[in-house]
Amino acid sequence: MRNSISKSLARFVSIVTIVTFAAVLKPSTVSAQDVANGSATATVQAVLVVTSTAALAFGNVFQGVSTSVANAAAGAGVFTVTGQASSVIAMYMQLPDYMSTATGDDRMVISFSATDASVDSTANTTPTTFGTGWQNTNPHNINAATELGNAGAALFLGGKVLPTVDQAAGAYTADIILTVAYTGT
Amino acid sequence: MLEKTLIKQNIPAERRLCATRRGFVFGKISLITALFLAVMVLHSAAGVLVAPTVIFISDKGRTGRMTVQNPTDKPQEITVYFSFGLPKSDSLGNVTVRLTDTLITDPNSALGWVKAFPRKMILQPKGSQVVRFRATPPKDLPEGEYWARVVVRSQDGETTLPSPTAEGAITTKLNMIMQTAIMLKYRKGQLTSKLELGETSATVDGEKVKVMIDMKNTGNCSYIGMLACRLMDANNKEISHASVQLAVYRNLLRRVELPIREGSFMKPYRVEIGISTSGRKDIAAEDMITGNEISQALAVQ
Repeated sequence: MRNSISKSLARFVSIVTIVTFAAVLKPSTVSAQDVANGSATATVQAVLVVTSTAALAFGNVFQGVSTSVANAAAGAGVFTVTGQASSVIAMYMQLPDYMSTATGDDRMVISFSATDASVDSTANTTPTTFGTGWQNTNPHNINAATELGNAGAALFLGGKVLPTVDQAAGAYTADIILTVAYTGT
Repeated sequence: MLEKTLIKQNIPAERRLCATRRGFVFGKISLITALFLAVMVLHSAAGVLVAPTVIFISDKGRTGRMTVQNPTDKPQEITVYFSFGLPKSDSLGNVTVRLTDTLITDPNSALGWVKAFPRKMILQPKGSQVVRFRATPPKDLPEGEYWARVVVRSQDGETTLPSPTAEGAITTKLNMIMQTAIMLKYRKGQLTSKLELGETSATVDGEKVKVMIDMKNTGNCSYIGMLACRLMDANNKEISHASVQLAVYRNLLRRVELPIREGSFMKPYRVEIGISTSGRKDIAAEDMITGNEISQALAVQ
């Protein structure tokens, strides 16, 4: 009796899970369908996804005190790239020289050294637990083409802000741009 | 393990079986739940999807399309623009793609006569948008293939500036902007895909063999295919192999590294190189242009 209840429960959970999986995964699948009379053909297209899962975060900084975040620290910026497994991608970063207030009244220097980036070619997306890849590489020149595994690749970015002694208090912003392209298409 | 514990505790056989099955069922449920949670986490972290990875436009239809999708829970601000950049290699065989927006002198550039509609949009959560392309090439355009990079720029549609938590403090907000650059190819007339091998070498570098392959495109379109390398010993036993996707637009120097696995392999080693336009799963068969096949064996120095 208990066995049959357990089996039924297992079947029910499996069915519910499969249905939920299908519902959850449905929006992620981009596909083009060419439908003809009498028959249907579907071409599932390869996709490329570039994501930022965490922004480079310096927290509160104070006048005259420079603050650094290492690429292996919890505050590092994280980009992830997923796409066709075993394809090779090239990554290129455009980094700011300064950050500015919303009104543009004041600017604060931000710098990136030649060792401020790491490219992890495993499934890991946590900067504090680096897997394998290129560690402490130059973010201005990420010349190592990365082969995408099934889980994609991640880029971790550190940096440094240098507020002056008379830096105005407030919020400063800047853009960090990551461009990703396939090298094999 | 569970059954052994139950035997030690003198539990009757029927109850043992029942308990073991329950353990299996709940183990299965835990595994399914863990998988489900993992997918949910991946899904919630997803960014903007762009498909396909190459857009083909023929001189007959002169139109193409691309789909951009936002599977996140936040609106995304999307901008589509054109740039130019071919895969290029340095003297070490590293391949990069650098985009150039102005002063393009490449005769095969399609920049300037391909337009995208729409070029700016806000994609709502779970929303998608088809971007259409229309080519209006010059009348006297020679036969061949013409290229441009479609750059899809995405960032959060809503941003908030953080407030300082201490008086007189400074806070920072870095906008992480993502750009996906995919290739657009405009094809006109009869196309020939042809590749020639230049200087090649295979040298031992520590615990691996470094293969350098210089290639030259002699066709009138890009050579898209696969490059496969096999490291063989004197007895024809495979030591290791590697296979990479290949796109040669003009000249390309490609480096492939093959690990020397431990084992009873007899020297001298050699590398077998195979280049072919078959084996690409990311491009539809009707869009592939069949080209020449190359195979060559190299002695490892």
